[in-house]
Amino acid sequence: MSPDLASLQRRLVDLVGAHHVDAAPESTVPFAVDGRVPALTIRPGTQDEVASVVSACAAEGAALVPWGGGTAMGTGNPPERVDLVVRLDRLDRVVEFDPDNLCATVEAGLPLARLQKLAAGKKVLLPLDPPEGDRVTLGGLVAANLSGPRRLQHGTIRDWVLGLRVVLPDGERIHCGGRVIKNVTGYDMNKLFIRSFGTLGIVTEVTVKLLPMPAVQATVMGLFPELSAAASVVEEVLGSFLLPEALDLLDPGALDLLTPRLGTAGGFAVVAGFAGSREIVARQVRDLEAMISVRGGASRRFQEADSTETWDAVTNLFQALPQEPFRVLCTLAVPIGRTAGMMASVRAQAAAKGLWAAVSAHAGSGIVRVAFRPEDGCSGDGAVPGLTEALEVLRGEAAAVGGSLVIQEAPRRLKERVDAWGRPGSAFSTMRRIKAEFDPQRLCSPGRFLGGI
Amino acid sequence: MAQRVLVEALRQVVGEANVLNAPVHLQLYQYDAYLEERRPDAVVFVHSTEEVAAVIKVCHAQGVPFLPRGGGTNLSGGTIPFRGGVVIEMIRMNQLLEVDPVNLRARVQPGMFNLELGNALAPLGYQFLPDPASQKAATLGGNVAENSGGPHCFKYGVTTNHVVGLTVVLPDGEIAEFGGVAPDGPGYDLTGVFVGSEGTFGICTEVVVRIVRQPEGVKTMLAIYDSIDRGSETVSAIVAAGMVPATLEMMDQLVIQAVEQSIHCGLPLDCATVLIIEVDGLKDDLEAQSEAIVRLCMEHGAREVRVAKDEGERALLWAGRRGAFGAVARLSPSYLVCDGTVPRTALPAVLKKVAEVGERYDLKIPNVFHAGDGNLHPLILFDWRNAEQKERVMKAGMEILALCVDLGGTISGEHGVGLEKMDALRLVLSEADIRSQLRVKRAFDPKDLANPGKIFPAPLEVAGVS
Ligand SMILES: Cc1cc2nc3c(=O)[nH]c(=O)nc-3n(C[C@H](O)[C@H](O)[C@H](O)COP(=O)(O)OP(=O)(O)OC[C@H]3O[C@@H](n4cnc5c(N)ncnc54)[C@H](O)[C@@H]3O)c2cc1C
Repeated sequence: MSPDLASLQRRLVDLVGAHHVDAAPESTVPFAVDGRVPALTIRPGTQDEVASVVSACAAEGAALVPWGGGTAMGTGNPPERVDLVVRLDRLDRVVEFDPDNLCATVEAGLPLARLQKLAAGKKVLLPLDPPEGDRVTLGGLVAANLSGPRRLQHGTIRDWVLGLRVVLPDGERIHCGGRVIKNVTGYDMNKLFIRSFGTLGIVTEVTVKLLPMPAVQATVMGLFPELSAAASVVEEVLGSFLLPEALDLLDPGALDLLTPRLGTAGGFAVVAGFAGSREIVARQVRDLEAMISVRGGASRRFQEADSTETWDAVTNLFQALPQEPFRVLCTLAVPIGRTAGMMASVRAQAAAKGLWAAVSAHAGSGIVRVAFRPEDGCSGDGAVPGLTEALEVLRGEAAAVGGSLVIQEAPRRLKERVDAWGRPGSAFSTMRRIKAEFDPQRLCSPGRFLGGI
Repeated sequence: MAQRVLVEALRQVVGEANVLNAPVHLQLYQYDAYLEERRPDAVVFVHSTEEVAAVIKVCHAQGVPFLPRGGGTNLSGGTIPFRGGVVIEMIRMNQLLEVDPVNLRARVQPGMFNLELGNALAPLGYQFLPDPASQKAATLGGNVAENSGGPHCFKYGVTTNHVVGLTVVLPDGEIAEFGGVAPDGPGYDLTGVFVGSEGTFGICTEVVVRIVRQPEGVKTMLAIYDSIDRGSETVSAIVAAGMVPATLEMMDQLVIQAVEQSIHCGLPLDCATVLIIEVDGLKDDLEAQSEAIVRLCMEHGAREVRVAKDEGERALLWAGRRGAFGAVARLSPSYLVCDGTVPRTALPAVLKKVAEVGERYDLKIPNVFHAGDGNLHPLILFDWRNAEQKERVMKAGMEILALCVDLGGTISGEHGVGLEKMDALRLVLSEADIRSQLRVKRAFDPKDLANPGKIFPAPLEVAGVS
């Protein structure tokens, strides 16, 4: 039974007001999910309104996709259907900021950068640095478990969420966790919604732990002609007492992208970020520079604002890539020790298939971020078969060591050939039962997640 | 009759020697570190994932409840077979399967004791960070199931932050892999959901943990105070100064006296509280950090601050804290360990109110707490032979939990709900919250066979209160 959208629209207008419900193409087309244009977009203004909207959709059998900053909307498989996009940008209030207890509660639509700004005023921060921090919302961060280079020391949002409020697919409001840093009252429901990609409901409020701001920060970049030398620095750092916040590896494609901002060109780079007291930052910078020089590499040092700027450039490396004729972004997750090897494999595949690639890895965490584009002059469609093959080969290699390849962004015609997540494993039957318990009508982001969930 | 059929089927899969059903044996498995008792129908010793799967398949086929038992040290009745059935004894699955420093992971069987894992990693220069005070007798499987904490949570988090993969036998006997050595596996985070599930989602038979280098240096300090408020103020002051110590632990006077009697670690008997502070990391700034902390302690009225000069002195400072629960056991025939959590700045307020509860119910309540985490453990002393007193204890315990909730906290920081806190669950969770958690339970265990009767109170409708 397909939903009666005209009647749903009237109902929604009653709930949130006419100017927050939109059916005109100029306000629906920009919110297409993998090419599927929603019939309606809606901007609820409170968490209660979100609940009413979801209830109305449940009653009408309408499928919805929540939309935060939109930075991860390319991730996953094309949804089976999208009747409604629920925009959360009006849910941007700070509910409680409690620096003395190192925590904050905010609505899900608040951009991360605004939380950071508020926190900085009290010399605290949420030590996470996903790409596009000015656009990423706290809700999006939770739903996609986004992360950046600093996950080496600080983990992901999974390690910082204390509590969530969620509207379930039937419109019921629940809360998970709380605002204390140790909490085993019932199941750890936060973990269910973190990285659930909008398939189990809509996260409307997030409580996070915060960290005191470090006194000093610095970054060291080591440049090498060979990957092996850069990778051996990574290995030595990981086996040492050093405690870098971030430890990334960049290939020549990635370094080229950084040229405009950092003036880098050619070769491979290891980039390490340090934060803390003056003494420990100085010590680590010294040690790292020694490791680089022993291997014949060239070091560059970035302090304070320059250090921040460097990481901003590295994190947002792929954002400047042109989208025409197309670009494909994907992430390989492998055991930490396989990171550099995976980087080499990606480069070999790109070379073999005549593709342009840039690779940037969180080398202490096992995360390899890849951008592929057709070589200059090649028509977009011609590159798709080679790319399809490359992705399958790399996915196979990752799977062989227990890892995965996930497509973050790709043109629809590629997604039709390669599953965004790969084949589900032995945990899948439980996942499917969870989905069925929470969303039996399959109304929340249907089809986007692993195995068609 | 049903029991004979069950025992026979279990013997078929694990062999006669691995099944206990004599009353004298079953009696040993009818209690744990909590206060209630219930006898199982059989106890089974298992040695492999496949055996666990076979045993659970028997239970599933016969509709018999089961529960895994590790060290039995949980404090909420998690291993009491509330509806009878089979206790699956995990203690023989105690091998360290792999230490993998390159990938910073280790793979462990769940029956291994937490401390054994620590001892195996130490010579290699690595550590597994969660270290509950019970680490000598608590297993990794129990740590996972309770999402255990310990004295280093303020900086390093709890068990869930250090478990990245699990092999699980689901309640229908199927084997599933959750997570693994590589990060960010696609799909729901079932590892995260399983940790803290108190044995109600099945049995984990392998655990992949994150290991880290041991820190280059450690400094341990003990600050002695004449006022408990000044001690907790110091904790807030250290955090406000931007420092993140690994440990911020406190004990009050009654605990100190008990510890001193049993361990003789040189604590002054007349002080109001001691605060144990540990900073770790690169050695370059540890001296400066510890000087700053000593200064803060003195500014906030510490009578004296001792800084451990070597590993021996450090061990002595820790011996007192780790031995606290044991030492308090000397003060009375039994005690109830409360486990509430509040936002850290509410600690002084909650401690005052706990003292008032003690006076009102005429009960002695010594206190140990993870001050950095806002996690308090009032230990209510009583004599289990005195039924009237026991009733007062239960009421006082419930009041303390309610206090924590009123101050923005919760009813359990690390010991779990089990049987103990089912009635307190509604202080924190709404009916909708409870219903949503039961949906997860149904997804894992539709027949309600894995450790049934725990965590969730009876629905209000049935109790006629709705
Ligand atoms: C003196 C003392 C000090 C303590 N200190 C602390 C502390 O500092 N921090 C803290 O957090 N806790 C502490 N505890 C509580 C307790 O030690 C922990 O909860 C511990 O992790 C339990 O481990 P165990 O092996 O004894 O588990 P058990 O008590 O045997 O079982 C606990 C729960 O885990 C389940 N379980 C066991 N094995 C498995 C498995 N393989 N798969 C699935 N479920 C399983 C059981 O069914 C049960 O529900 C303390 C307890 C005592 C007695």
